[in-house]
Amino acid sequence: MPTQTCPLLATLAAVILPLAAFVLSAALGRKAKSGVVSIAAIALSLLAAGYVFSQVWNQSVLRAQWEWFTVGAHAFHVGILVDNTSALMLLLVNIIALPVHIYSIAYMKGDPGIHRYWTYLSLFCFAMLGLTVADNLLLMYICWELVGFASYLLIGFWFTRESAVQANKKAFIMNRIGDIGLLIGIAIIYSSFGTLDIHTLFGPQALVAGGYLSGGWLTTAGLAFFLGAMAKSAQFPLHGWLPDAMEGPTAVSSLIHAATMVAAGVFLLARVFPLFNQTTLLVMTVTGSVTALAAAFFALTQYDIKRILAFSTISQLGFMMVGIGTGMHHVALFHLTTHAFFKCLLFLCAGVVIHEMQHLREKQALDIDPQDIRNMGGLRAAMPVTFGTMLIASLALTGFPLTGGYLSKDALLVHAFEWAALQPTAVKIIPYLLTAVSVLTSFYIFRLLAKVFFGTPATQKLSGGIATVHDAPMLMRVPMLFLAACSLFPLFTFHPLNDGHVWLLQGLMPDTMLPPLGALHLAIPLLTLGGTLAMAFLAWKWYVQARYPLAPRGVLYRLSLRQGYLDAVYDRVAVRPVLILAQFLRWIDGRLVDGLVNSVAGVGRSLASAALWTDFRMIDGLVRFIGKFASGLGNVLRRTQAGRVQQYLALAFFIVLVVLLYHIFAQA
Amino acid sequence: MITLAHFLVVGACLFAAGLYAVLARRNAILVLVGIELMINASILNLVAFGRYDKTFYGGQAFALFAIVLAAAAVAVALAIILNVYKHYKTVNPEDIRNLKD
Repeated sequence: MPTQTCPLLATLAAVILPLAAFVLSAALGRKAKSGVVSIAAIALSLLAAGYVFSQVWNQSVLRAQWEWFTVGAHAFHVGILVDNTSALMLLLVNIIALPVHIYSIAYMKGDPGIHRYWTYLSLFCFAMLGLTVADNLLLMYICWELVGFASYLLIGFWFTRESAVQANKKAFIMNRIGDIGLLIGIAIIYSSFGTLDIHTLFGPQALVAGGYLSGGWLTTAGLAFFLGAMAKSAQFPLHGWLPDAMEGPTAVSSLIHAATMVAAGVFLLARVFPLFNQTTLLVMTVTGSVTALAAAFFALTQYDIKRILAFSTISQLGFMMVGIGTGMHHVALFHLTTHAFFKCLLFLCAGVVIHEMQHLREKQALDIDPQDIRNMGGLRAAMPVTFGTMLIASLALTGFPLTGGYLSKDALLVHAFEWAALQPTAVKIIPYLLTAVSVLTSFYIFRLLAKVFFGTPATQKLSGGIATVHDAPMLMRVPMLFLAACSLFPLFTFHPLNDGHVWLLQGLMPDTMLPPLGALHLAIPLLTLGGTLAMAFLAWKWYVQARYPLAPRGVLYRLSLRQGYLDAVYDRVAVRPVLILAQFLRWIDGRLVDGLVNSVAGVGRSLASAALWTDFRMIDGLVRFIGKFASGLGNVLRRTQAGRVQQYLALAFFIVLVVLLYHIFAQA
Repeated sequence: MITLAHFLVVGACLFAAGLYAVLARRNAILVLVGIELMINASILNLVAFGRYDKTFYGGQAFALFAIVLAAAAVAVALAIILNVYKHYKTVNPEDIRNLKD
């Protein structure tokens, strides 16, 4: 169709540009310090994505396919499929990536490995954009792996730090568990339907909904896909890598581990949504709620500013999973979108704070962890813009009215209640749980704000240095202000308190809706607002006025601080046995395999030395003996040839005498 | 009575003395003398056995031949010794070892 050519090319350009930037940066190597290539690519990509979005949203679906390779009779394709979901994600990834790129100029300034940073960042953007527009599961899987790989590179960006190396290994291995799930899911789909095309499988006439797949296999496939999403979107109990991933640069955390990569799991589930049956959806809902609760609980006591935000991300991803699980994937995607903006902003603000604390540490020659909120305090006056934007983002996180977070969280909770109304008794508790989690959310984020921006610094030395702290430079401030604007309600609707008019939700609306419960749209916001205000008051009382009433060594406190001892459990259950197995295998390898080889070689060697002995002693010996014998004989005989006439004569006489005597005695 | 055995004993003694001279003397002239002694010993044997041939006197005839031959040999040998002396400035057979090659 000729009308589709332009958007199609724009989509291609949006995906290919970061790839080109990656290749170019990689080729330039150390010379690509400025990041101009990457930023230009992502800016152009954003323009292209914006154009694609304007052409696709609520209009025609964009499809194009080219044959890639053929295995036997089965052809595999590469292609583009841009529907509302894809267009939204394409735009979202770009719109988050560009501010982060610009922010990175200031944040990463002077880093010796900055050329690598831009290269990896472009690779990541390419992979993520490719993931959003891929039209078949194979291509999607490739991009999925690339996203994981780029994330691995970026988490371990400061690879001289042992903790960063540990963290990127952990992220890679945990993601690998999920990747296996995804691969199994894709394999089941392919063996059952003979195609990987997303539109054919999950489109309007969804092949998977046709009942070709028996219930058991359908559940297995659904769970396999969910396992993939669990690892990528850091769902309990595979969430452990995300807090550790905070070892990467903060700008990376904000782009990858808050806004895009972790959203890939949710996006995948939204894409293959028709695959899931009731069992799978229920598993998702339960997992999502457990994740939301556990992560919020862990976030309560963390001291590292980035870890708090990381757990907050996990918790919010749990909310999204519940959105998918309750069948309202449009709400999940809406929450993903709002969350992307405010969580990215939170990380960028945290980055500014860490940046300044780092400077403070260097200036005052202090031995402090620049990410530890216990060392911060009273930064509000010194960095008003950071405080303001972070406050907006935090309010969006808590679901405060007038923010985007309010709209999405409200919609999510309301839908959860609507869903629970239709469920048997046991899971009815889930929406209440989520409401409680959103109250916990308010508490930990206000705790963070109170500790960082209010009160006074912990030590005299620190408070002396606070005066030298200044606000974010322009290159950081502009992205932050932009994201703050995006975190507010006008981006999504003109009606600040009602999610019924959100264009995004209307564009992604599924065919079947849950029966609405009218009163909830009033009750839920009031409840969460009340909780938020109460928690804000509590945080103020406890942390700003320093009237902390609890003993900080309770069981729950320790459980939260140690993240439920999950890492210790993993260490015992997974890491140690693997290490023991590895040692055992090394022993087998060293003793049995190498031993066999060595003994075979030993036999050969002793054979060779026997042959050498034979050759040297027997054959060479014979030859040498003959030589020696001849030369010895010569030595003996040449004495008789001394040239003395008289000696010759004597000898002749002697011989004659002997012959004579012989004759005489022989005759006798 | 002088028997054949007396002749033979005298001849053997002469021969032994000549042999000793040939093998042990340090002077080529005396070696030559030793050779003459041995020739004379054999001539004495010829003469002694010659009494068993009274028809032709073969023994005495051969003895005369041998004396002539010995004289010729002495002449040749002296000439050789003279030349050797000219060449080596010595007549000691110990010092003349060119025969070894």
